[in-house]
Amino acid sequence: MDIQAYIETGVIESYVLGMANPHEAAELEQLSRQYPEIKQAIDEFEASLEKQAFANAVKPPSSVKDSLMLTLKDEFAKEEDTRKVVPIVPSLDKGINNQTPVRSIAGRLKYVAAASVILLVASAGLNIYLYKEAKDARVNYLALLKENSTIIADRGVYQTRMLDMYNSMQLMSDPAMVKVAMSGVKDKEELATVFWDSKTKDVYLLANKLPETPDNKQYQLWAMVDGKPVDAGILGDCNGLCKLKNIPNAQAFAITLEKKGGSPSPDLAQLHVFGKVG
Amino acid sequence: MEAVKKYGEQELVLLLKQRHQSAFGYLYDNYSSALNSIIMNIVPDYEQASDVLQEVFVKIWKQIETYDDTKGRLFTWMLNIARNTSIDTVRSKAWQNSRQNNELTETNFAAAGNVQTNIDQIGLRKIVHQLKEEHKVLVELSYFKGYTQDEISKMLDIPLGTVKTRLRTALTQLRQIIR
Repeated sequence: MDIQAYIETGVIESYVLGMANPHEAAELEQLSRQYPEIKQAIDEFEASLEKQAFANAVKPPSSVKDSLMLTLKDEFAKEEDTRKVVPIVPSLDKGINNQTPVRSIAGRLKYVAAASVILLVASAGLNIYLYKEAKDARVNYLALLKENSTIIADRGVYQTRMLDMYNSMQLMSDPAMVKVAMSGVKDKEELATVFWDSKTKDVYLLANKLPETPDNKQYQLWAMVDGKPVDAGILGDCNGLCKLKNIPNAQAFAITLEKKGGSPSPDLAQLHVFGKVG
Repeated sequence: MEAVKKYGEQELVLLLKQRHQSAFGYLYDNYSSALNSIIMNIVPDYEQASDVLQEVFVKIWKQIETYDDTKGRLFTWMLNIARNTSIDTVRSKAWQNSRQNNELTETNFAAAGNVQTNIDQIGLRKIVHQLKEEHKVLVELSYFKGYTQDEISKMLDIPLGTVKTRLRTALTQLRQIIR
């Protein structure tokens, strides 16, 4: 092989300048190990290139170094740490063999102690957190309990009301029930309805549109029996169909506004509503 | 630009591989200017060249493990990192965009003085400019712009074999000029 000719092909420059392909590079590396002349030619070109670069050096701004060192700051810190460990190794050879285990136990104890403290703090923190959680849960539980009892009570109210309505409906729909429309004396407007059970003779009043009574007054129902008014009961605090007294016989019914508790005989000046049976 | 050499190259490499900060500081102090001239041959903007220089030194620090002194000098290894990083930068989209934005400013510069042509008068590029035109263009495209010989063959419409031989001749002449 003509070494000099090979050197002159420009393959060396191409290799050094990073322009050779992997195949050329591998071949040159192989040959440079075999032929010192090639190795030398590579060295020479590298050296002249380096010299040339130094001769033409362009100083960068000084801020680049600061910025660079700052960028790699953490990498250097790592280096410091690894180097600190190194001197401990030769001290083993100095014959103070006991010192190392003792130190290592003490060192380990230090870590255990540190770990304990961390665990304690963490556990205390967790306790506080869990206590707060439990407290919140308790408050929520009590609120829910109260809400639940309110709902149950409401349900009872509705149930009663519905039962009343059901019963009233049963009564009203009974074929034996005689319905008496009660109209206002002044304007003939239908203000209430009397239901009179022709079998049991019980009287019920449905006060659909009766005006509100003053605080000290109540409505009283009268049955007109052979032209005479008979007390048929006082309209108390009842909703819907109110059961009043048992009236065996009547031709008509009347409602008067009486003082609270009712009167033995009606104040006919206060006759508001009247209705004939049949 | 001759800095005091307190480390031999082998010692320096060893300390760098052991991650000594002082060795790295020394490396920067001694080689940054020389590498900067290489970078500026490819990245003409002084500021941007500085950014590339920093990137190059970060790469050197991170890749020093891969440096094999049987394959060549430390400087050659660093030079190739500098060249590759510079070419990557110039070819990156971000740089192309910033170039476009700077175009007007650069035209102003060119009108005012000769800043832009300075790039041809420093370092390796100055030497390349002493080559014959047919050689110069090949070195320009392959070394400073990073195109492959195949790409150059297509760009200049010259057979690949011719590109190869001319480039080799150009490089041989380059060596003779440097020496």
